[in-house]
Amino acid sequence: MTFWVDEAYGDPNYGNGKWFLNPKNHSRQMYKIRKPGYKPAAYGSDPESQSGRTINEILETRYTDPEKFKTLIAEANAMKGDSPFQIGQVITLEEAHQVCELTYPVTAMSCICRIHTRAQEERNEHEYSCTGLGVGMLKWERWPERYKGGVKFLTVQQAKDWLTKWDKKGMVHILMTFGGSYVGGICNCDYPDCGAIRNRIDYGVETGCLKSHYVAKVNYDLCNGCGICVQRCQFGAIKFEVTRDKTNIDMLRCYGCGLCHTACPRQAIELVERESIPALREVW
Amino acid sequence: MTTAPVYPVIEIDHTKCTTPFDCKKCLQICPQAVFGVHAVKVDRGVETNPKEPGVYQLAVRYRDKCTVCNDCVNVCPTNALKITYP
Repeated sequence: MTFWVDEAYGDPNYGNGKWFLNPKNHSRQMYKIRKPGYKPAAYGSDPESQSGRTINEILETRYTDPEKFKTLIAEANAMKGDSPFQIGQVITLEEAHQVCELTYPVTAMSCICRIHTRAQEERNEHEYSCTGLGVGMLKWERWPERYKGGVKFLTVQQAKDWLTKWDKKGMVHILMTFGGSYVGGICNCDYPDCGAIRNRIDYGVETGCLKSHYVAKVNYDLCNGCGICVQRCQFGAIKFEVTRDKTNIDMLRCYGCGLCHTACPRQAIELVERESIPALREVW
Repeated sequence: MTTAPVYPVIEIDHTKCTTPFDCKKCLQICPQAVFGVHAVKVDRGVETNPKEPGVYQLAVRYRDKCTVCNDCVNVCPTNALKITYP
């Protein structure tokens, strides 16, 4: 993988070296790692807010200085190791279920992106749409504004059902880190209210929404052109090919979230390992 | 030949728009999801109250996506928004 996540933090003993299936990245020790000179966090000084502010500053230059904007985005995307940004990666439902078994606790909570973009208030478990992971969640009451509307702690089975529910509704699962490689959440995202997806698709900020380890491919023998998958894609990768009366997936645009794969009534869409496709091996 | 891109200018009158998180009309009607809302006053250990004037502020985050359809201007109950297209 071109980014730091697999090279430095994957472990071949777990989940084929996928960094988010390495138990270390879910551990309490990772959460506690502080940089030298770090002061206890007040609201707005956490990695998430800092990364948000940096991205906002970069996005602002697209009006004032379009050339500088391109340079800053390229610099940000080229950063490894100590990227100041939150790292996010699209994962499939199956991988999200595996993560739920690794980490503790798993909680349902309100989505910060939807609060920001649509002022959507989520006040109970029927309204929550985001998933918080790890020991950091035990301290949520210290930042009630960040966790607006409260949180609900879930058992492993409840967490899996919860993620499946959002998969059925058509939300992409994006794994989020909060400082270093510490895995802190699985978002349920769509366009345009998810900041990570929007910043990547519209402005090219790659780190918040890396592509998954898979890429979707249509089996034309099985596809009957029902079109169910077309409305599931949040990335604009799926088109209905009228000529062939079948669905068409642009593998270059595909992020490998698997939403089309789980929705297809004929199992006509398979998820292929990204690393097995030569031209996509380095496309994250 | 390339020309510099032209984007609409969206002005928000924060003296008129005081409770955007509670009102949220422009945030929800915008087809391009141009706006953002954030808390400007956060007290530790307390959830900010959306009904309290001045604690949340409306912001323009994706101005380049605005098409000047003026839905937000028309829906605003306080006439706090003004869009100009140069």
